[in-house]
Amino acid sequence: MLEAKGLMVFYENMLALNNVDIACADGQIVGVFGANSAGKSTLMYTMSGIMKDIQKKEAMAGGERITIVGEVRFEGEEISRLKPNQRAKRGIVLCPERRRIFNESTVLENLRIGGYLATSAQAKRTLEYVFSVFPALERLQKRIGGFLSGGEQQMLAIGRALMAQPKVLLLDEPLMGLSPLMQATLVRATREIRDEKKISIIVTEQYARPVMPIVDYAFILENGSAVLEGTREHLMDNPDIRSAYFGVEES
Amino acid sequence: MTEGMEQRRKERVDRGIKVRTDSLYALLSAGEIAYLALPRLVLILGLLLLPLVVPGMYWQRVITITCIYGLLAVSFDFLAHYVGLVSLGGAFFVGTGGYLAAIANTQMGLSPWLTVPSAALAGGVLCTLLLLPCLPLRGVYFAIISLMYPLFSARVIEALDILGGTDGIMGIDGFPNRIVEQYAPVVLLLLILFGLRRLVTTDFGLVVRGVKDNDQAIRASGINVTYFKAVAVFVSASMGCLGGACLVHIYMWSGISQFALDFSILPIAATVIGGSGTLVGPVLGCLILVPISEMLREFGTLRIVFYALILVAFIIFKSEGLMVWGRRKYHQFERWTRI
Repeated sequence: MLEAKGLMVFYENMLALNNVDIACADGQIVGVFGANSAGKSTLMYTMSGIMKDIQKKEAMAGGERITIVGEVRFEGEEISRLKPNQRAKRGIVLCPERRRIFNESTVLENLRIGGYLATSAQAKRTLEYVFSVFPALERLQKRIGGFLSGGEQQMLAIGRALMAQPKVLLLDEPLMGLSPLMQATLVRATREIRDEKKISIIVTEQYARPVMPIVDYAFILENGSAVLEGTREHLMDNPDIRSAYFGVEES
Repeated sequence: MTEGMEQRRKERVDRGIKVRTDSLYALLSAGEIAYLALPRLVLILGLLLLPLVVPGMYWQRVITITCIYGLLAVSFDFLAHYVGLVSLGGAFFVGTGGYLAAIANTQMGLSPWLTVPSAALAGGVLCTLLLLPCLPLRGVYFAIISLMYPLFSARVIEALDILGGTDGIMGIDGFPNRIVEQYAPVVLLLLILFGLRRLVTTDFGLVVRGVKDNDQAIRASGINVTYFKAVAVFVSASMGCLGGACLVHIYMWSGISQFALDFSILPIAATVIGGSGTLVGPVLGCLILVPISEMLREFGTLRIVFYALILVAFIIFKSEGLMVWGRRKYHQFERWTRI
């Protein structure tokens, strides 16, 4: 459904992504795991097109020159020329790292901004759906976004992304800085969203263990390169990976 | 982009000298020394020689005024991009410095050699004290309130008819001779420019830059943010007052036009054109804008339109600013590389 082929991104002369091939089939949950600076966020930004925006801003400010090479295909069509808003219209929706919710708007307003692309009927339906997946948000709908806890903000960010009627949802480190309990809630919700809405999901994380149970296929990034890939079972069988990314010590 | 097709990207490579760390240069040859010294020499010699090459008194006077605007622009750039206070108080600084120098000269009979430095210091203190209550403000709020100060001062002087009222203070001594008058602002500008470049790399500069990025983190490090902001405002205000003091001795008159908003607005435009955060850039911007605004004088108020067009063009096509662009071109070259 969404795939990247030979993706390379340079920040000035630094290679952030090196010839990365990644694919997400219809209705799959794909995990992308890697340490800090492995290129996870760069990958998400490039696939959602935000990187083009960053590129433009850097060029305007005389900052780093960002070079993007390679192709991104969505439903068989080459989309690497499309701007981020056009990609969102087609159904590639990013839920960015560190949530980036609208701090000064209420929960309901945040969700309604997310629903800009949806028709009013769709928006109404999705709003109900978001509240059913995250009942906490329904209670908080009048609260100002900036005053929510980290977990609540993350739910809101995912809810806002859902409001844009995604076909592919890109979740960039959704579990960052959350309690194990909240992590479990979000992981459960992610699976629910895939199962009920048939939305494909690409999720990045540093620590693979909490999300591994729901992932169908996973890629491992190291220093900008996709060094390993495979189904969940395949990766779990590899002892090196188990200790490096899943925190399972070999006896 | 199929297999086999050669893909290229443009690469930026540091021109660089042979041994370089962040702060230490190991100079190995005359060529490298020249490479480093050339831009500085161009600036210093350029500013010193400029009054000699322009035709006539009128343009020499324009250069003097340019340098005074340059002082204001550097002071704006310092406050805005190293301390995070966007100050529109340039006119307030000029006016305060100007009136203080005028009073010191006419009432106390001090010579320009004494009035200029004392007006700069006393004006700096005065402006800092007056701005002290506004220091917790940031961004556009500080900008608006600092814009109120010159408007307020001019109206107070007008309404209460103090300090010569609308006529201003006349009979101020000029500089002792033409050469001093011509070169005092130039030399002061150069000294302050290079001094400020040092200042922003000292510990003090480090702290104020931290204040700009995240004042809560600076507070958490046990540093008194208000004190550092006040010192930075003092530095910036003193520069403005210095310019104002020079100005009244050049015009031999001090009046409420010293609180004119030109002194607040032009430095910002110059900073946009020259490149913000570079300190040298705003001077370059003034060297472009002030003469242009003089040349357009015959168009009357229409010159604002030309002026605005130039600004818009710069913001759209070169928003990084001339100096940032120039510095990059000087220190780096570009070449195509295969991926």
